[in-house]
Amino acid sequence: MSENPPLLKLEAISKNFGAIEALKGVDMEIRAGEVVALLGDNGAGKSTLVKIISGGLRPSSGRIIMEGTPRDFASPAEAKAAGIETVYQDLSLCINADVVANFFMGREITKRFFGIPILQERAMEAVVAKALADAGTRIPSLRTNVEHLSGGQRQAIELNRFVHWGGKLVLLDEPFAALGVEQTRRGLDMIRQVVARGIGVVIITHIMAQAFQVADRIIVIRHGRVAGDVRTDETTPEQVIDMITGGTLSGAGKGRDQGNSSPATGERESSQ
Amino acid sequence: MTPARRATIEFLLDNLVWLMLIVVLIVFSLTVPRFFQFGIFANIIEQSTFVGVMAIGLAIVIISGNLDLSVESTAALAAMVTGLLFATQGIGLGIALEPAWLILPVSLAIAMLVGAAVGMANGFFVVRLGMSAFIVTLASFIWVRGLVVAISGGRSAQSLPAAIRVVGTADILGLPLLAWISVGCFVLFSFIMAKTPFGRYVTLVGGNLEATYRAGINSNRILFVSFVLAGLLAGVAGWLLAIRTSGATANLGVGMLFNAFAAVVIGGVSLKGGIGKLPGVYAGVLLLYSIHTAINLMGLPAHYTQMILGALVLAAVLLDTLKLRLREKLL
Repeated sequence: MSENPPLLKLEAISKNFGAIEALKGVDMEIRAGEVVALLGDNGAGKSTLVKIISGGLRPSSGRIIMEGTPRDFASPAEAKAAGIETVYQDLSLCINADVVANFFMGREITKRFFGIPILQERAMEAVVAKALADAGTRIPSLRTNVEHLSGGQRQAIELNRFVHWGGKLVLLDEPFAALGVEQTRRGLDMIRQVVARGIGVVIITHIMAQAFQVADRIIVIRHGRVAGDVRTDETTPEQVIDMITGGTLSGAGKGRDQGNSSPATGERESSQ
Repeated sequence: MTPARRATIEFLLDNLVWLMLIVVLIVFSLTVPRFFQFGIFANIIEQSTFVGVMAIGLAIVIISGNLDLSVESTAALAAMVTGLLFATQGIGLGIALEPAWLILPVSLAIAMLVGAAVGMANGFFVVRLGMSAFIVTLASFIWVRGLVVAISGGRSAQSLPAAIRVVGTADILGLPLLAWISVGCFVLFSFIMAKTPFGRYVTLVGGNLEATYRAGINSNRILFVSFVLAGLLAGVAGWLLAIRTSGATANLGVGMLFNAFAAVVIGGVSLKGGIGKLPGVYAGVLLLYSIHTAINLMGLPAHYTQMILGALVLAAVLLDTLKLRLREKLL
């Protein structure tokens, strides 16, 4: 497809929790500057997959290859150092601290005096104020503790955090769960901005319309396997639903154990 | 509500303990005979030193979301080791150093090491092995006190050399050196907690451990270092106590844990973790010892002190709950 190795390549990733096989050999690729929507029914293994990519879990077998080099992330810190940012479904905010502290969590701006790092509050506040203003997020005071903010404002902080820090690959696990219509639209815009900078994005969502609105490619996970890997402009919501549920109406479910693109190709032919 | 008014209320709620301290001092000054004099205030600050230094470490551990019940015994162990090595009478070995002033840094370093070692043991069991902090530090509370009795054989060490006792007797600008030491410790650690990444992380880890882990903060290291700091500061408190009493007995410092806990809670530190500031804890310690002193001056029997302090802790927790409700309503 291109001479450059893909940003992230998963090879035969599987994960067992005791006797339960959550993932049974997942292969997929994500390229830079591409939005991939990860779809699947509850319990299909999407969140497990995201946790493996973000360093929260280690795969039982299989390889993670980032930009051509095999990687093994022992912790989220290592994945983050490699340039993988994650926005989790249950928000990762410390509500007992203010907006600035949360925005910079783990990456504070410091200046050393006699070797002792000192937090540079004003510099950090300026950065946060600019980032939020650019994204059109209004929060009364950056020094209020997050516990006093609404669910939407909290999620906006998380989203602004990933837009600001970026990295190479961003994983979004149900990022718009607590957002209203307008905020969701703005969130989808944010994803576009990030992608324009050449960052790869993986978004998990339940809402088909969002997937079709923002994604270049849709990957469907079913029973711990990739049940479909299709370009958004070459498929329809109905076909994707068939892949998610394993429905055989259009023959989509048939090829799900054989390879990535066969269900999609099969579908395209039948629908044309 | 205007932002200015909101900010004022927020400020008052955050600094409620200082307000209480001022009110209590004024009330005592007006009602308790002989309370209002410089000597009394200096004495309150001096008396606060031992529990104060201990409460700093305890507060850090509690803010990080854990608990340390062992600080009192740790202080006693540090005091006993200091007494055992350097006291000249009783069970003291009377080790002399050349030049004589060297005993100050050496004994302090030993006391800090002893404290830090207990802190490391606590940290290892709680952070690395994932055991409950309550149980681990309760066990330390018991075994460390047992160790104190064991190494002393239940006897005491007396008479520390003059070179070290000067810490307990010297005055600077009319205030006892001990008072300056506790103020210095509070200033230093308040600064660390408010202005350095470590202090920031202690608060964040206490608020949401999972979030800090995901953000790439080494949260286990923060928790471990908190325990070590609590032990180290308890060691310093024990060292000061040994100097003050010029030696150590096997039951030295019994009851300090309760006072330190009371001060921390009164000072606005939430036992849930993540909430609280060290200046507030200092106000809590001062408030506690103002009440102690007033009770002494009024000539009330000492057993009333415990009842009043118990009631005070309850009041502080109640206040904390009310504060939360008030904040929800007003802000």
